[in-house]
Amino acid sequence: MTILAFDTATRATTVALSTGSAEPVERRDDPARGERPRHTTRLMPMIAELLELGGVAWEEVDRLAVGVGPGTFTGLRVGVASARALAQARGIPLVGVPTLQSLAVNALACGDRAGTDVVLTVLDARRGEAFVAAWRVSDLRGTSPGGSLSGRPAGAPQALVGATVAGPHALSEIARRVGPSTLTIGEGAVEFREVLEPSGVSVPEDDSELHRVTAINHCRLARQIPDGDLAEVRPAYLRRPDAEIALDK
Amino acid sequence: MILAIETSCDDTCAAVVTEGGEILANVISSQGVHDRFGGVVPEIASRHHLEGIGSVLDDALTRAGASFEDLDLVAVTCGPGLVAALLVGVASAKAIAAAHRLPLAPVDHLHGHVAATFLGPVPLELPFLSLIASGGHTLLARVSDRGPEFEVIGQTLDDAAGEAFDKGARLLGLGYPGGAALERLALDGDPEAFAFPAGRGMPGLDFSFAGLKTALLYRIRDLGEGETTRRRADLAASYQRAIVEALALRATRALEQTGLERLAIGGGVAANGVLRSRLRELGVPLEVPPMELCTDNAAMIGSAARFVEPLSYPEYLDLDVYASGERRFVRT
Ligand SMILES: [Zn+2]
Repeated sequence: MTILAFDTATRATTVALSTGSAEPVERRDDPARGERPRHTTRLMPMIAELLELGGVAWEEVDRLAVGVGPGTFTGLRVGVASARALAQARGIPLVGVPTLQSLAVNALACGDRAGTDVVLTVLDARRGEAFVAAWRVSDLRGTSPGGSLSGRPAGAPQALVGATVAGPHALSEIARRVGPSTLTIGEGAVEFREVLEPSGVSVPEDDSELHRVTAINHCRLARQIPDGDLAEVRPAYLRRPDAEIALDK
Repeated sequence: MILAIETSCDDTCAAVVTEGGEILANVISSQGVHDRFGGVVPEIASRHHLEGIGSVLDDALTRAGASFEDLDLVAVTCGPGLVAALLVGVASAKAIAAAHRLPLAPVDHLHGHVAATFLGPVPLELPFLSLIASGGHTLLARVSDRGPEFEVIGQTLDDAAGEAFDKGARLLGLGYPGGAALERLALDGDPEAFAFPAGRGMPGLDFSFAGLKTALLYRIRDLGEGETTRRRADLAASYQRAIVEALALRATRALEQTGLERLAIGGGVAANGVLRSRLRELGVPLEVPPMELCTDNAAMIGSAARFVEPLSYPEYLDLDVYASGERRFVRT
């Protein structure tokens, strides 16, 4: 099965192509902190580059996967609009991959790191808040790097903490609840290190690859998630537009 | 066949147009969700564009009896407009074009409004003066060829004409968007009851509507609530007349200065009946496209695309959007 996956929920633009049983190949663009994302200008060129590199024509792509966030609103729309239009124009099945869940799969790369039972994923939601979710590492095992799903039922693993928006206080509460044997990753984990570490969870070094959202994980998850109506693949904004909130006040 | 996409403001639009300028489908999905906010909210508009664009595209192709395989070119509005809204259209257009290795024509929204007059069996003869007036823009242009490099000779320095209509309507308690309601109310009023500034004293071809809105606000305060309610129709008629006169006056000046002998209008304000009849008095042939081609639509974008140098695959993959109109205009 040939899968093309991408994610634009964070500052990064990441694209991965998985053909057959080989390890997926990735192209990514990581703007430095404080730099603007380049989803609009980088996404399509990286997709074209990967397909060319893999010698894959559009008619050979069996499945598309796009990160549906949560993340930056504009980034999510660029990703989802591109994915839906590609799927619509070529009749390719499309699945939406929760970005936090894809990030959580990074925990499996640590092997059986002693004492890691839970993975807490944290993305920067701006305004002093974070997007956060948690999984039991054992529940993510079906998403093993080799992509083998033998013996596991289809469907996404159940989250321990469902995706939500949290301020510093709520974030430390969640960290305390999931316990000390929790690996905490994501650009938000770096951002909120001062809040998270005193709550007992461990956060890898700032420059650790574990913090990066990568579409390689989307390729793996895309096998487990059933595809459906294109219009059902939509951004997980998790926040209402400011104007609506203001109007309700 | 050209597939065109327009998402610069709050209408999600897709159209299929032939190279000869025949419209095979022109689908417009108006969001109608911004009224309670008193204006278009970019984040809300962008969410709706994303929700609607897939079915709008499907609809346009179905009505045109076409499939993606039949297309020769994809056209899309790249600006000016709301960045987050434009991005939905541009991301979709790039993906569709790339998926079939089609060329892509980046279109300027205002070129689109001008190019609405190039559609149909008998396009307007060149050169002509174009007056574009809508909620987003107000400008006068000398159009000497059908390409994007038309010459802007006058534009608004503050509010757009449509914005002036909407703001006036709100002051008169007509809600948002109130341009059409104001025109209806004005039917029962005396356009000479109140003297509102039409900018006669302001030389040149540029427009300014901010003072007019302020004048209406002061007049309403002076009249007090009861009298304002009693004379609402007169206020509406006089206010409308000032906007129409401001537009007509500069169109007259522009015709004199340029020696052009034809006038075309476009944009949502071109729907205004009083404006239309006033411009017919100017003594030059007046071209008014059908209403659905005056307000924002994708057929006009498809029309403009015929006169734009298209980008071939993969040149357009890194194409970006722009918020303001300075990118493509020659200002004299
Ligand atoms: Zn317009």
